[in-house]
Amino acid sequence: MSRLQRIYYLIPVVALVIPFMANEYLLWVVNAMLVYILVTVGFNLVIGNLGQLAFANTAFFGIGAYTAAILMVYAGIPYVLAIVASAVAGGVAGFLASVTALRGIRLYYLAIITLAFGELMRWVYLHGDKVTRGSDGLQIPQPSFFWIPLDSEMPKFYVFLLLTVLVVKATSNLMRSRIGRAIVSIRDNEASTASLGIHTARYIVVAFVWSGSVVGIAGAMFAALIERVFPESFGLTEIIVHFGMVLVGGTGSIVGSVLGAITLTALPEYFRQFPGMDELLFGVIIVLVLLFLPKGLVSLLCRISPAFNERYYRE
Amino acid sequence: MEPLLELQGVSVNFSGLQALANVTFNAHAGEVRAVIGPNGAGKTTLFNAISGYVPSTEGAMHFMGKPIHGLAPHEISAMGVRRTFQNGGLFPEMTALENVLTGLHVDIDSSFLGIVLGLREAREAEREGLARARRLLDLMDLGAIADQPVKDLSGGQQRMVEIVRTLATEPPLLLLDEPVVGLSPPMRDRMMEIIRRLAGEEGIGIMLIEHVIDLVMSGSDIIVVLSSGEMIAEGPPDEIRQNREVLEAYLGHA
Repeated sequence: MSRLQRIYYLIPVVALVIPFMANEYLLWVVNAMLVYILVTVGFNLVIGNLGQLAFANTAFFGIGAYTAAILMVYAGIPYVLAIVASAVAGGVAGFLASVTALRGIRLYYLAIITLAFGELMRWVYLHGDKVTRGSDGLQIPQPSFFWIPLDSEMPKFYVFLLLTVLVVKATSNLMRSRIGRAIVSIRDNEASTASLGIHTARYIVVAFVWSGSVVGIAGAMFAALIERVFPESFGLTEIIVHFGMVLVGGTGSIVGSVLGAITLTALPEYFRQFPGMDELLFGVIIVLVLLFLPKGLVSLLCRISPAFNERYYRE
Repeated sequence: MEPLLELQGVSVNFSGLQALANVTFNAHAGEVRAVIGPNGAGKTTLFNAISGYVPSTEGAMHFMGKPIHGLAPHEISAMGVRRTFQNGGLFPEMTALENVLTGLHVDIDSSFLGIVLGLREAREAEREGLARARRLLDLMDLGAIADQPVKDLSGGQQRMVEIVRTLATEPPLLLLDEPVVGLSPPMRDRMMEIIRRLAGEEGIGIMLIEHVIDLVMSGSDIIVVLSSGEMIAEGPPDEIRQNREVLEAYLGHA
């Protein structure tokens, strides 16, 4: 485990090297990766760790983005508070989604009800145009992180990196504890989990709320990244993209989430120069990975070192 | 001696089907109590009713003097009634160690905030749990397979891990649903030996469901016989062996 923790040494290297190697566009792509890392980590918690087919995460993402945008535009609150508000809003949405799972709506039924919820939210953004400006999108004022104006990709990069590292580390702490074990044990055998004195309903709620908050924060970052929030950023296609990131990286693995988010942000972006190729490639990557690496890209790392196997405790 | 578990007229009704009818007995600490009966007699239903997985329609159940009827499975378990499952209740993707750690959940005293922020008190509580889980596996000679996912273990090893996980919090009462089914005869004997030791040396009250009559006769102190949901006999092995009603239920003669 300690060997795996050396990955953290990479973070300062990344922080120092990337901004000086990349132009404004590449830095934008890296910032998008950081946003999608949180999206995938949050989504994976419900899909991979809790094992519930809930697709409400893209809706949490939109709720986070619109919460931040609306509060900044209409209430003029600082960006830092908008991030906190997005985390809370995402958590509340996560709680609502957990109620459906607790009511015994599972599997395909949970899948379809959460997909419908996502479409409903998109409809709300589209038709709540007095507030959301509908399909024109809601332009946000230039955000500042405390006293740092986020007026170019470089300051955004450092703020996003800080947020991503903190949230991923907190999520990792949570997963490697009695709480993370309770969540995974519910996936593996819900009935026998209760026989160990574990209040299963409570941990289903914890998983959904945490997932919603993480993705809500990603939404607030996304709002700052694109500076104008559109309903189409949270549609069905995006759900597929986010789900693809989870599958390509590896379900139930935090390292996998990071890999999936990076891969499926970078490759389609690269192939955008060949019109039509990016969508095609997106599909091809998912098919190839599912065929040859059903446990995702992280399984390649597991072959190199068993330290990459997802563990639910810390030495 | 005050009984560990008191059942008084416990009945379970599945939409008209009487799965358990008026079952009454007391189970004690340090005693191995076998529950036997033909298929469909209500043995697992009895365990499900005691552990809260199936609501009892009538009657009262008390554990160490406190009522447990109507409580949820996790509440009954937290009070100290722990069980295993006929088809195995392990978490297959987790390692043996992680399974036992999950069994220690209620004993690991770490707060949500402490865990998320990685505070020392939370890390220490986790570390204590980890050390205890390793010790428990070592005690049962399972130390070597501690870090393997349980889905890769043999059936016998899986049973052992499940028993260790169930025992981790030192519960006063253990319900074992067919603990030796699918085990080789030497493993079977070893498991029965462990069960006898847990009752004899640790003073744990054990109830077990078992089909192999020889094991039941040699390994248990008291036998409860169920037939069509009714308790038709209760007593030490010698008495049960000679009980006419039991012979009829099993062999079907008049």
